[in-house]
Amino acid sequence: MADVVLACEGLKKAYGDLMVLKGINFKIEKGQTKVIIGPSGSGKSTFLRVIGLLEPPTDGKVFFEGQDVYSSDMDLNMVRAKIGFVFQEPSLFRHLTALDNVKIGLKVVLGMSEEEATEKAMETLRLVHLEEWAHHYPAQLSGGQQQRVGIARALAMDPDILLFDEPTASLDIELTWEVIDVMKELAEREVTMLVVTHEIGFAKEVADEILFMDDGKFLEWGPPEKVLRNPSTPRAREFLSRLLGGV
Amino acid sequence: MSDILFILEFAGLILEGFIMTVIMTFLGLAGGFVLGVLSALGDVYGGKFLKIIINAYVEFFRGSPLIVQLLMFYFSIPILTGIKWDAFTAGAVTLMLNSGAYQKGYFKGAIEAVFKDQLLAAKSLGMTFKQTLMHIVLPQALRIVIPPWTNEYVSLGLSTSALIVIGLRELTNISKSIAAQTFRPLEVYLFTSIIYLVWITVSLKVLDYIYNRVRIPGLEVTSEI
Ligand SMILES: Nc1ncnc2c1ncn2[C@@H]1O[C@H](COP(=O)(O)OP(=O)(O)O)[C@@H](O)[C@H]1O
Ligand SMILES: [Mg+2]
Repeated sequence: MADVVLACEGLKKAYGDLMVLKGINFKIEKGQTKVIIGPSGSGKSTFLRVIGLLEPPTDGKVFFEGQDVYSSDMDLNMVRAKIGFVFQEPSLFRHLTALDNVKIGLKVVLGMSEEEATEKAMETLRLVHLEEWAHHYPAQLSGGQQQRVGIARALAMDPDILLFDEPTASLDIELTWEVIDVMKELAEREVTMLVVTHEIGFAKEVADEILFMDDGKFLEWGPPEKVLRNPSTPRAREFLSRLLGGV
Repeated sequence: MSDILFILEFAGLILEGFIMTVIMTFLGLAGGFVLGVLSALGDVYGGKFLKIIINAYVEFFRGSPLIVQLLMFYFSIPILTGIKWDAFTAGAVTLMLNSGAYQKGYFKGAIEAVFKDQLLAAKSLGMTFKQTLMHIVLPQALRIVIPPWTNEYVSLGLSTSALIVIGLRELTNISKSIAAQTFRPLEVYLFTSIIYLVWITVSLKVLDYIYNRVRIPGLEVTSEI
């Protein structure tokens, strides 16, 4: 059995009376890229937050590298440090430069020295092609640049997996490409990624699997060509014909 | 008006009063700062019970005149506790409590201006709540808060004249006795007003300078939300 990085069983999440995730089984192995698509409000962001340990599940289990996260005595913050998160809105720390945004987790959470953290952060900013912008504040960067700093901030921690929640959804189209290109480069480097996105080109090119979420469950999953060309459920067919038809 | 310089005879006394006014202002602001930050954190992140207590405290001190608060604390604490305290201590404590209630409002606004998405980002990096507070929330909130906080500085600075009711020898109280002694209230109070004015104006310039030194491009935008 390959190394499973992140998995869940029977995962449920409710907000009050509203059941958002309705029993999800999922796993992703080292080096894989999986893409989640699905209509707005179907629970994609909630799923990422729960499996990314930012919110506890209402029911079910989350496994990180084989260990049941909530019933072992793991330090949750240390596990979170191993799971990188890139959000839809570039959620950079506004009082810190690009460089310091990348450094802060290294210093505060991983306990790196100032020099070590600076070196690591610059190296990571280079990977997202932003070394020249290192000393700019978030407000001085474009949306696409901010999003790439966000990727660098997550990546610098040397996470075992990166989760992306519609990282290009709030960007103009020409800024979308620069972010998508960086994500493709990561996929080529065999970084494990779980990505919610409707950039179908990206999904086709790099996804090992596409999962279609609807109403708090995965209705359909498989290799891109199968899910995109030949969806078996009417809900997925309808969603995809709108998504692809619009292109 | 010919011998306006008579006021110089009282320079020493006036200086003494002015120093007392400044000391009381700084004590009130400093104590109020601590109380304000803690109350704001409690109100934003605390439990229901804590929120009720904090808001009761704030409502009380913002909803009654400072003079009444001073009289009440100065005269009632010795009766209630048997501990006698002087006007200086009673005044300082009351100003701290009063200013803390106002400062809490400014800090709460500033803390809430640090958006939830940044808190989630900090959590995703593995930061603890305390690390997030120290490295993300407070550095932003303390910068954002400076312009509104300036209002509290001016307001408390001028309100220290209320300390006259418990007999503290600050600038207004001293002026009153000089005016009574010389029978020249117009000149004396005019001079006193100018001292307040110059002091506040200089203080505002200093605060503005500090704000510009620590300001970060784009951070102020958040504060308008
Ligand atoms: N913190 C929350 N509190 C209450 N309801 C929420 C919360 N987060 C999400 N929801 C609800 O859960 C459902 C799924 O939301 P979300 O996971 O954001 O969907 P998606 O990302 O697929 O658009 C929506 O109905 C949304 O209103
Ligand atoms: Mg979403």
